[in-house]
Order: sequence, then C-alpha cells, then structure tokens
Amino acid sequence: MRGKFLKVAVAATATAMLATACSGGGDSESSESTGKSGGELRVYASEPAFLLPSAGDDEPSLYVIRQLYRGLVKYNAETGAPENDIAESIDSQDQKTWTIKLKDGYTFDNGEKVNADSFIRSWNFAAYGPNAQNNAYFMKRIAGIKEVSSEDPDGEGPQKAPEPKAKELSGLKKVDDLTFTVELSEPFSGFPTIIGYPGFFPMAEACIADHEKCNETPIGNGPYKIEGSWQHNVGITVVRSDSWKGEPGKPDKINYRIFADVDSGYAAFQAGELDVMYTLPPARFKEAKQTYGDRLYEQPGDSLTYVGMPLYVDAFKEKKIRQAISLSIDRQSIIDAVFDGRFTPATGYVAPSFQGARENICQYCKKDVEKAKQLLQEAGGWKGGKLTLWANAGAGHDAWLQAVGDQIKAALGIDYELKVNLQFAEYLETADNRKFTGPFRLGWGPDYPFLETYLSPLYSTGADSNNSTFSNPEFDALLAQGDAADSVEAAIPFYQKAEDILVEELPVIPMWWGKVGAVYSENVDKFVWNSVADADYGQTSLKQN
Amino acid sequence: MGRYVVRRLLQFIPTVLGTMFLLHYLTSLAVQFSGNPVRALFGDRTPPESVLNALTQRLGYDDPCLDQRGNPCFGLFLNRMEGIFLNFDFGVNLRQREVTDLVADAVPFTLKLVVIAIVFEAVVGIAAGVLAGLRGGSFADYLVKISTVFLISVPIFVLGVLVRQYVGVQFGNTLREQSWVPEVIADGVFSPGFKPDYPWASLVIPGLVLGAISLATTARLTRTSIMENIRADFVRTAKAKGLANKRVIGVHTLRNSLIPVITYLGVDIGGLLGGAVVTETIFNIPGIGRLVTQAARTGESSVVVGVVTMLALVFLIANLLVDILYAVLDPRIRYE
Repeated sequence: MRGKFLKVAVAATATAMLATACSGGGDSESSESTGKSGGELRVYASEPAFLLPSAGDDEPSLYVIRQLYRGLVKYNAETGAPENDIAESIDSQDQKTWTIKLKDGYTFDNGEKVNADSFIRSWNFAAYGPNAQNNAYFMKRIAGIKEVSSEDPDGEGPQKAPEPKAKELSGLKKVDDLTFTVELSEPFSGFPTIIGYPGFFPMAEACIADHEKCNETPIGNGPYKIEGSWQHNVGITVVRSDSWKGEPGKPDKINYRIFADVDSGYAAFQAGELDVMYTLPPARFKEAKQTYGDRLYEQPGDSLTYVGMPLYVDAFKEKKIRQAISLSIDRQSIIDAVFDGRFTPATGYVAPSFQGARENICQYCKKDVEKAKQLLQEAGGWKGGKLTLWANAGAGHDAWLQAVGDQIKAALGIDYELKVNLQFAEYLETADNRKFTGPFRLGWGPDYPFLETYLSPLYSTGADSNNSTFSNPEFDALLAQGDAADSVEAAIPFYQKAEDILVEELPVIPMWWGKVGAVYSENVDKFVWNSVADADYGQTSLKQN
Repeated sequence: MGRYVVRRLLQFIPTVLGTMFLLHYLTSLAVQFSGNPVRALFGDRTPPESVLNALTQRLGYDDPCLDQRGNPCFGLFLNRMEGIFLNFDFGVNLRQREVTDLVADAVPFTLKLVVIAIVFEAVVGIAAGVLAGLRGGSFADYLVKISTVFLISVPIFVLGVLVRQYVGVQFGNTLREQSWVPEVIADGVFSPGFKPDYPWASLVIPGLVLGAISLATTARLTRTSIMENIRADFVRTAKAKGLANKRVIGVHTLRNSLIPVITYLGVDIGGLLGGAVVTETIFNIPGIGRLVTQAARTGESSVVVGVVTMLALVFLIANLLVDILYAVLDPRIRYE
C-alpha cells in the first residue's frame, strides 16, 4: 500500500448534525484540549509528492497540506466525524444537489478572499483531465465529470487524447459570493463527509494561474503559512498565519524534516532532533515500546490487507471454493508469526473503527478445516491445478503469502506456488488487465470517514479498483439505495446489507487491519492524534518553559 | 600537452554517448519488464484512465516501444539526446520536477561530503602511510597495518549504521547532556544525520565514514611506495649529497611515492560517489547518491540517465586531471 489516504474512525453523532446543517463552532473544543501555544514543533516527514491540494494524495503531502490549507469541513480529532470548518452550512433535499454556504472573512495568505469561486475554481482545476491532477479521482461524483475528462482513443498509444468537451464541471454553480451549489451525477448521502479530504480544499486564483510556483511556495488559507519555500528533500517550515480566522494552531512553527529512510528518521528521533514521528520502522517497534513507554501512541488502524479472488478465472467462480480457501487460513497465527502481532484479523469488510462497522460478521473468516473440506467437496473438488499465489516483489509480502499457501495446502491438500517476481508497476498493470491466474494480495485504505469507501470502489460492478471483477446486481442496488438515503444513519443499513452479500460471496478474502504507531518526545505537552487525519501537528502542543 | 588534452577530450564523446545509450537501454528495459512506473504512483487505487494517460504522456512513458520487450527504443534515445544537447532539457521526474533542478539541489550536499572525505583520506591516509613506511616494523607500522585491515574489511553500510547509532545517537546524546560542550559539536558534528541548521558540521561524520575505507587503501599504498623509494638509488644519492633529512624525505621520497597514491585518489572520486549512494541514505543527506538510488528504485529513466551521465563526466574529468598531475609529480613523464 502506498498512499494511505484518509485514515478514519467514526462515531455516530456529528455526521447527522452536519447533514442537517447545525452550524457547530467553538463548542467542539473541550476544556481538556487547550494545550499551551508556542514553540517550534519538529516533526518527521518524507518528501511530499505535491503541495497542491488538487495533486497531493500521499501521506507526506497531506500532512503538510492539512496545515497550509483548510476546507469546508474538518474531522473531529476523537470521533472522526465531520464538523463545519469554512462551511457555514451544507444542505440538500435530495442528496443530489447540495447547497453550500461559506463563513465570511476567510482569506488566502496573499489576501485573496476565500469565497465560492475559490472552491469552484479548485475543483474544476482538479477535475480537468489534461491537468493530470491526482485528485481528479475525487471529483468523479460531480455532474459533468465525463465532459471534462477525455479518453485516449488508443490507451497509452501514440494518438493524443482529444481535448475534453468542457473546461468546467457542469455541476458546480455559483449562487452568490459565499454560496454555491454542487450537483452530483447520482445522489450521495456521504457527500458532506468526503469534502473534508484535502482534494476538496480551495485554491487561490494566483495559485491556479501559476500552479508550479504555488507548488513550491503554497498560497494557503489555513492556520499556517509557509516560511520561505519548500526545500526539496530537506524540509518545510510553516509558521502560524495571522490571517486565519478559525481555531488557531498551537505551535508557533512546525518544522517538517524530510527523511528518505525511516531508520535515519528514527535515529534523529533518538538523538532528540524530532518531537513527533508518526510512524516507526517495523523492526524497531518492540524496542521503541520499551524505551518510550507511554510516549508511544498505538491504535488500531483501518488499512485492509486482502487476498483477492480472480473471479474471471473459472476455478474461482464457485463461491464454495472461495469460502473453503478462506476457512483454511488462520489469520491470527500468521500475524503473530510474521508481524509480531501488529495487525488485527479482519472479520468483515469495513474497518472496526468506522460508524456502521460490525465485527465477526464473516463466518468464513476464521479457521475451520472440517467445514472447508466439506465445502470443497460440495463444490466438486478443486480443479484448478496448482494454486498460484500472487504478490508484488520486494515489499516483503512473500513471507505471509507463503504461510497462507502452507495453510491452504495443509487444510485442503491443494499444492501451491508463489509468483512474487513482478515489480509493483507491472503487478498493478497485471491487476488492471485481469491477468492474475490465482489469488492476489492487495490492500485498501479509506478515502473518507464513511463506510461506503470500503464497498463501492472495490466491489461495485465496473468500479475502478474492483480487481476481482465482482459483479452482483443486488449489491449494486443496495449501494445505490444507501447513496440516496436521506441521511448517513438511514444509509448505513443498506451498506450493511451490501456487506452481508460480500461476506457470503467473498470476492476477496479479508486478512487483517493495520495498526498505527507514533512516538513523541518529552517536549510534547499534549499529543493529538486525529482519527481521520492522523498526527494533528496544529493541535499538538509543546511544554513551555 | 595541449594536443594530449584535446585528444583526451575527444575521447570523452564516444564514452559519454556510449554510457548514455547503455543507461537509456537499461532503463527502457526496466520499464518494458517491470511496467509503467506512472501506474505504481497510484498504488492499490486504480486511477481513472484519463488521468493515467495524461500523466503517462506528460512524463514521456507513452512511446509504444516501451511496451515491446527488448526494443532498444532508438527513437526515444534520439529524442532524449536532442533534448539534452540542443535544449539542455534533461526531462522531468515522476513528480514533474526538472532533472536539472533536482541535480542543482542535490550537488552541493554531495560535493561537501566528497570534499570532506577526500581531505580526510588524503591527509590522514598519507600521514599514516608515511609514518608506517618510514619505520617499517615499528609499533606505528603495526598499528596502521592492523587498523587499515580492520577498516577495509567492514562494508560501508555496516560501518555507517554502527557509527550513526553509537557515535551519532548514543555518544552524541551523552555530549548533549553536558553543558560545556559547544552546540556546534554536540548538535552539529555528533548528529545521526545531516541537519539543515549545521550544513557543514553535520556532514563531518558522514564524510569520515565515506572516506574511511579509501583511507585504508591510501595509507597502505603510501606505506608500500615509501618503503620502496626509501631504498631507491636517487634517495641514496640525495642522502650522500648531504641533503637535510627533511628534504630527502619531503621532496625526493614523498614526491615520487605519491604518484600511485594520486592515481588512486583520482580514481577514487568515482568510488566515493558510489559510496555516497549508501552513506547519503544512512545519514539522510539529500545529495546525488540518494537521488539516484530513489530514481532507480522507482524507474525514473530521465533522472537516472541525466544524473549518471553527469557522474560519468565528473569521473572522466577527474581521471584526466590525474593524468596531467603525473607530469607535475614526475618530470620524466611528458605528454606529446
């Protein structure tokens, strides 16, 4: 898994408040969260890919973008629920057309106003195909996306893709300076939740005009502004912005030190050069836990590792075969043996921390050799020959995949071989071209704190990341019903029913959920971990002398 | 002399072109065999066709020859040559930054690192070699012999990681607790890696690590060379003429003994650049070595071709300088 997008845990309350436009404000600030302000926070970072909201989609980029820019909603640190940030209200009658009102008085660092145009401009820029912005993906629900992106007639071939029919999304309309409407192609009850993703943050006019310069010296609208410019591979320093009207950041300065290698970052942490490290070298985890004790922050994560079933291969079409394979794997023993117990076995398709997630709903996700044998027999035995297990090379997946193969072989007597020699790019192309001949490993991280992110991109018919080619009309219909429901609460039962189909059909075999670990130094007074956005540097306070 | 230099410079052309073609071919093969590197940018999330295609095209991975395994992609090579030599355009990396910018950012760090390493290995290495060579069989000789064997036998990545942990972190932490140690020493020199606040001080230890292994060879070469020359006829003659011992050693012995050492130091610039690949990663130095490692890992052909071509040029020029220096050290060598 490369970019972990949003990482999320969600509680029940605030989503509903938001959908019904309860303009929350300062009341989310509990008395405990008032750490002292001041000081310079030094944090571990890797080189970001981009500092433009429309392009940055990897963890290191998002960590910086979230302090420089702010969007319509932000996520509650503890619950992950969205709360209005720059938005005054977000309403819809039919979940299809959304009216967004903005709070007045917000500006960019260069003095430009943050208004309806800033958002429309930024979303149009992200969506327009020829701009090749990574976050174009997130605009796909807005009406008119097809017209602004064009398909290359011959794939990667020599012909150039034609100019798209339109330059702007037809679904975005300005009402007045502080109001605009968004029309979606299909109703989507989760819309107010997803717009807290940095891909939806606004950009200044000057930024669009020269986006390369803005990538080096961002013109943000958030609590921090850049000091100097991005020093590639060395560091990024941001200082508190005076023009920010919202809840101010705690440290005066945040210094992102860029490391190419997590081990050298850890050495710098040990030498007292860093205050927060949001990740740890896996091999040093135990040692770090002993050394730093309660300054090591650990919590269940939400990135799913799964073994996909190539449903386009005949041998895997019968669901009893898939169930039998899943039943022959003992997840916990693999986690303990290969990963020092640092994962949680998956018993469903939605991360346990999400609103609407249910545990132990997958009856085929625990080891039961007897039942596996019986199911295999009912399915008429295994006819696929030697089982080929696929993973990409060089990322350490072969160790656990071999354990999976051994367990299947022991339980069902199916001989297996590993195919782990493809580099990541070719491996992904093999997935895109549906060329796997056996089960394949892949992963998934949520995009936004809404359980739909675990379902529709992976299993709905024809979806982009549906690598198993699962297609089930009933499943699609339930997702559509969930999308069109009046509220998040009303939507959840539909998504849960859809998940019930998955645990029976097993288009992919869920393996485990990741765990996150961060360490912080003695200088830190209060470390804040946001359940969606991970380490929240702006709210992390330092001890003041 | 002038004609010699011109001839040598002309020889650069086929060497550089050959290197570039080889690199181009290897990186093209890498793309042909391991897939479009742009796809890997998106990871497990399948990007929309249009975005993937737009990016692939912008980054120059859309040539159909990159789908045909084994195809040397001559067309692409010609385009690349044209870009580099006519427009000084080395292309962009996967994040759409110009290769020339990347190199301009990275070079100063590597330069500082290599300068520290060269100075260290030249000064300490030659001094140790002279000491050992003049008194063969003495305690100093054994000390140099043993310590150099020790240095040569430890691979640089092991040495680097050990030094980072025990010198940078643990000894450094002890120093940082002492109030009398100046900050530039405690925070700068004894740091586990490069620090932007101390751009020279924090490079000292990585530079020493980088120079350490070549230092051993330098010391050994100097020692042997001195031992040979000290018994040579011209040294005996110099002594017989009644010259001061200082002059006999300094001018007559050392100058002649340094010829193989200088050759080695010149060739070693290439070796140091290779070692920098490891050292820069361990000590988090944003230099050329780290740049090239990452580019090779992610299959960024333009970065690999551009940077390694420049490195090849540096190597060639260093060798040329060494050859010219011969004439300075040994008047008997003349270039016609």
